[in-house]
Amino acid sequence: MKVNLHPKEGLLINAFMLFFIIHSVQVGVGLAGLPRVVYLVAKHDAWISVFLAGMITSIVLIFMVQMLKQYDSADLYGIHVDVFGKWAGQSLNFIYMIYMTSTFFIILMNYIEIVQVWIFPTLPTWQLSLVLILIVIYAVYGGIRVIVGVAFFSVIGTVWLVIVLFVPLQFGDFTHLLPILNVNAKQLVMGAQSTTLSMLGFEIIMFVYPFVKEKHKSMLFVQIGNLFTTIIFTLATLISIVFFASNSLEKTIWPVLSMFKIVRLPNLERFEFIAVSFWMLIILPNMCFYLWAASKGFSRILGKRQKSGVWIIAIVTFAATFLIKSRYQMNTITDVVAKLGFYFAFCYPVLLAMIVFIKKWFKRRGDKHAETQ
Amino acid sequence: MFKWLSGKKAEETPKVHSLDLEELKEQLKTELNVGADLVFRTLKRDGEKLIFCLIDSLIDSTKLDEVVIKSIMNHKEIEWTCEGISKVLPMASIHAVNQLGEVVQGINQGKVYIYSEGQPYGILADVSKNLVRGLEKAETESLVYGPKISFTESLQSNINILRNNIKDEDLCTEDLTVGRRSKTKAKIVYIRGIADEQIVNTFKQRLNELELDYIPGTTVLGQYIESNSWTVFPQLMTTELPDRISIALYRGKVAVLMDRSPDALYGPTSFFAFFESTEDVYMRWNMGLFLRLLRLVATFISVLLTPAYVAVLTYHYEVIPSPLLLSLGESRARVPFPPVFETLLLEFVIELLREAGARLPTKVGQTIGIVGGIIIGQAAVQAGFTSNILIIILCLSALGSFTTPSYLMGTAIRLIRFPIILMAGLWGGIGIMIAFCFFIIHLLRLETIGGPYLTPIYPARIKDIGYSFFKLPPQYFSFRPITNRTKDKERFPKKKAKQKKDVDE
Repeated sequence: MKVNLHPKEGLLINAFMLFFIIHSVQVGVGLAGLPRVVYLVAKHDAWISVFLAGMITSIVLIFMVQMLKQYDSADLYGIHVDVFGKWAGQSLNFIYMIYMTSTFFIILMNYIEIVQVWIFPTLPTWQLSLVLILIVIYAVYGGIRVIVGVAFFSVIGTVWLVIVLFVPLQFGDFTHLLPILNVNAKQLVMGAQSTTLSMLGFEIIMFVYPFVKEKHKSMLFVQIGNLFTTIIFTLATLISIVFFASNSLEKTIWPVLSMFKIVRLPNLERFEFIAVSFWMLIILPNMCFYLWAASKGFSRILGKRQKSGVWIIAIVTFAATFLIKSRYQMNTITDVVAKLGFYFAFCYPVLLAMIVFIKKWFKRRGDKHAETQ
Repeated sequence: MFKWLSGKKAEETPKVHSLDLEELKEQLKTELNVGADLVFRTLKRDGEKLIFCLIDSLIDSTKLDEVVIKSIMNHKEIEWTCEGISKVLPMASIHAVNQLGEVVQGINQGKVYIYSEGQPYGILADVSKNLVRGLEKAETESLVYGPKISFTESLQSNINILRNNIKDEDLCTEDLTVGRRSKTKAKIVYIRGIADEQIVNTFKQRLNELELDYIPGTTVLGQYIESNSWTVFPQLMTTELPDRISIALYRGKVAVLMDRSPDALYGPTSFFAFFESTEDVYMRWNMGLFLRLLRLVATFISVLLTPAYVAVLTYHYEVIPSPLLLSLGESRARVPFPPVFETLLLEFVIELLREAGARLPTKVGQTIGIVGGIIIGQAAVQAGFTSNILIIILCLSALGSFTTPSYLMGTAIRLIRFPIILMAGLWGGIGIMIAFCFFIIHLLRLETIGGPYLTPIYPARIKDIGYSFFKLPPQYFSFRPITNRTKDKERFPKKKAKQKKDVDE
């Protein structure tokens, strides 16, 4: 397997599209429940935790991009093989592929759960999952350009929901925020860790990187994308804390969706029906990117066609949807994947980056040594 | 393995026609097989024989008599050889040929073949007659403002109109033959130095690779050279307005005109180009902007309003505020059908009215519209078939789809409404969103002559948005659309447009 990937000229995307990619992949099902999850740990300073998590993500992204810059045009699969050799590298690739497939699965299932809770309690899971998976396959078949387009339209088409979030603010009570920084540092950090599921997605940069046209600009746009996500997440958390009373926020599973309830137009009430429908556009790029990256792994590891990888992963995911029977199972699996994500997306890339830096440093020193001799 | 056997075999060896007049006649008769239309006229002089072979129905007989035969008969002194005759023929287009195939082809195109017995060559002279209808006002793309002349079926006159519009010496009109058997003349038109060569080459390559026997017109030709033929969305624009082509050419596009086809095809055209009308260009920028946005909003409404009605009334009636819900419920109280069925029924009626109106002569068509629209609508409501509100919504969405300047795109938009209505009836808002996501992906996957279909939006070309989405005051359009990768980037010097005067200067 080749370490570097050199896509055709026509497949390359502009660096500023990375903004849309990073932002759209980060915002997903996690956001709907984010304020409560953090609030349970960090109480009314949850918004600080979320912001902290954004900062940490930004640092992890610096490591990731710097690691990618050590190579000409490599993705994570290539780097694994370069660093750990064929067998260990390929096994790591396989594990990462499994991780991404499970994230794909979690996003799908969580969205279907939201639909079932909010709109159609009796809708069978397999029907919606089948249709969604088919749509995602259709997008992935179009290749990276189409998926990036989906991310672009997802951001453009749903960014107005942020403005709608300001409506509940007029009923809010800002004293909920006081006293600021009342919880200890450990709680803040734990709160930051609980945002993992929402923050996840930025690791896609490690797979998209070979397709970026102006690679030297990628750091800038990746950081802007992450910043935008952080701002939106912090804002959502802040508004939730201000809007909900303490004990009701703890009991509201999807506070962001609940807040849409009170939005009222002259000809429209109960805005959450529209918000839940639009949420599909938000999760669509997430699913597309995870399926694309996982199937890319399939073709990179086995050297087979990516199309067959898409189908295999899709069928496995579809089969897995039948295994989930209840809300508790869903919760457990989501927690497990969130934990996995914490290690796979936050800790591991930093570690790998260190190894790559050391390796390259040794190599450079070795080269210099050879030159002087 | 047997490639050498199958290859090249079909190619006919060139064959010289018989030098004997009677045999030549027989040969032409068997080759052409047009019955009494094939006419031979023989002149005799001192044992020499000169023959004119022609197809009666294709030629202009006064031209033949007055120009060809008269000038040969008047010049008694000349030799009846190829050179001799060509000296006295006052015509621009004559060819010396002797291949049977060429002669047959020439006669079939309305030329006269003049041959003197025993000579090695004969002369093909063009005396063809083109039946042309006069220039008329544009019918399918009707305009309030701007030039109204439209293309006709004659390629020659179309090119004439175009060249009169654009007196640019860089305007290239390259010849093509379309249709392996029908051999229809076509022209590929672009402005050298503006149009990107890659786009021109893509057009040429796709046109040359066609191996069809016959193509009825440019609209059909467009379908053959499009990248995706499964979709409902047209990927190349056809228009009957010459000024539309001129504007497009100066934006770096490439046009294809075909003989006997009153439409010109041009591309690359993105999705949003189908919502542009030439009126936008002729009007003041703010009016143009308003109309353009109106059209886009109308399209959006046309696609989403009826599905939203179905979704809301079937599943999410909580969304409607209670006062509105009351009046909705009241008007729907007598309707025995579920909203999907009701909507599909009425959509069907509207499509029927539209189709009937389009097929009938104008006067009857109008009557049908009034009869159908008012009487059926009124009666349907009174009979309790549909609700009043649905009729309002449906008429709005029908009107919305008719605002699209391109008839093809308007039809496409009316068509995609049906699956969305069905999805809305199945899964409500989620169903609409699924359909919406599908169409976004679908449009993203389409392309037009190698370029992306959703172009000024994605891939984002922010400068170009003014060309297709919005409109700005003219001084901001000193550049040509970037998407077309034009060679000459500037329309006028930018600096001059940006100059600002001081107070009282």
